Amino acid sequence: MSKPATMRQMPEIAHVDVNCFYASAERVFDPSLEGKPLIVLSNNDGCAVARSPEAKALGIQTGEPWFKLAPRAKEWGLIAKSSNYELYGDISARVMELLGRYSAWLEVYSIDEAFLGVKGTPERLLELGRTIKAAAARNVGVPVCVGIARTKTLAKLANKWAKHNPAFGGVCRWDSVPPRQQEALMARLSVIEIWGVATRITKRLNAMGIHSILDLQRADPVRIRERFSVVMMRTVLELQGTPCIPMEEARIGRDQLIFSRSFSTPITSTRDLRQVLSVYAQMASARLAKHELQAKLLTAFAGTSHFNARQTAFPSVCVPLPMPTADPVILTKAAHALLPSIVEGTRYARAGIMVTDLRPSGNQKPLEHFENPHEERRIGTLLEDVTKRYGRGSIGLGHAGIRGGPDWTMKRGMRSPRYTTHWDELPRVKAA
Amino acid sequence: MGVIIGPRVIEAGLSLQLAWLSPLPVAAGYPSPAQDYFDGRIDLNAHLIKDITSTFVVRVTGDSMERAGISDGDELIVNRALEPRDGSVVVAVLDGELTIKRLRITATGVVLQAENPKYPDIRVPALSELTIWGVATRCLHHV
Repeated sequence: MSKPATMRQMPEIAHVDVNCFYASAERVFDPSLEGKPLIVLSNNDGCAVARSPEAKALGIQTGEPWFKLAPRAKEWGLIAKSSNYELYGDISARVMELLGRYSAWLEVYSIDEAFLGVKGTPERLLELGRTIKAAAARNVGVPVCVGIARTKTLAKLANKWAKHNPAFGGVCRWDSVPPRQQEALMARLSVIEIWGVATRITKRLNAMGIHSILDLQRADPVRIRERFSVVMMRTVLELQGTPCIPMEEARIGRDQLIFSRSFSTPITSTRDLRQVLSVYAQMASARLAKHELQAKLLTAFAGTSHFNARQTAFPSVCVPLPMPTADPVILTKAAHALLPSIVEGTRYARAGIMVTDLRPSGNQKPLEHFENPHEERRIGTLLEDVTKRYGRGSIGLGHAGIRGGPDWTMKRGMRSPRYTTHWDELPRVKAA
Repeated sequence: MGVIIGPRVIEAGLSLQLAWLSPLPVAAGYPSPAQDYFDGRIDLNAHLIKDITSTFVVRVTGDSMERAGISDGDELIVNRALEPRDGSVVVAVLDGELTIKRLRITATGVVLQAENPKYPDIRVPALSELTIWGVATRCLHHV
């Protein structure tokens, strides 16, 4: 029984993410790391935050402390790298720019994943997925997997499947898989494998007799809403193929914070976009302060709408901050680095900022004076002027400001060069 | 410079129209969009980098490319998106290292050449067995 052509051309969602992102970013400029067990360590070289497949195969877990792994590293041939967020931020920005070429509807979901609106026949969609995978490998140098489905939840699930089952070649379109196979997969996977289902909820679901993803898919959405929340009901509906998870506007993850929003009316001027970015930066600042975090890297981006296919642009910029900070002035200035890439008159439908390389703010309380945003305005300008004239690190806010502040105490002994953001750390190519 | 190839095959519905409008690289000699603005000084990024997403700057160590005007310590602008062809100066992955060579693709096979008689050619059975990291488009030579 074949479905009518219009049914087969419903818009779908592609979920793209970079495999083992940090480890893959390290490998772009150091091919000798290819095929070797590689881990990336958290700030201060504390514990493993990213693992290459080879490191996973050694049984190394995320969060395992480095001091426990270090004695056996030589025996395993394990290579550890201090986190290099400037590199990851730049590679991330490049991946997102690239993805922007394949769909005008792009939601940057985290440093290494995005949702794209796509449309076409099943064959075309699979082809698009393969094209994206090949382009990321070639143009940027990182491996990605692509999951395509009618809903975000299913697209994420398809992506996970594509990653774990080599038969897919890294690209899986949910509806192109026979229903029996879909069910077999969902029956095999625990509900915890689903996007947005936490351990706590898993236990309550289990108590209701819902163990596998298939159990959840077959659950009554209304009953789920009564027992849990509307969020959980959406997950059930999404598993059933009804798209209902909207664009999210703010997320805080383990190592990043994102503010991004679509505009009701497109923004066409640099002046307006400056305001939007300022607002986001201040929201990010407030959120960081609330969680007692500071960021070291900021990415700002904007994008055009998919309703206006004749004009697409996805500018993105990655700004290393002079010091770990949650300061609204510094974050705002950093976000404004996007503005030179903004073309006056282009209809931008969304914009956002992402801060990464987060760390606890510790007991570095800023001077009270600096906490007042009204007072800070002038100081921000002054800081910028001084920095412009005398260079980064010549002046800063409070005692956290100068030359990296808390970075003084930060162990980063095994960090690879910041290949793409520092002129004196460019990748070396051998002429011999 | 030769023809520059951007992302290929983008055909799924909506994306079709978008693809060629995105900031694709163009053949050299095509007027740069930057020329529409008269309020700024020459921006080397605009002129030297056609595809910012896939372009990287690398630094050369060694003298094997001297005859091509590429010296020890020079910076190269390398575009990963370009199709390597016969005669391209490429960054290839050799023994886990990024290495700069002249690529020769002939009827008799694929050869990575140095541009300095001190260094021997490296024969490769087929292009598919070679990892080309990127194609150099410019050398920032220290004079």
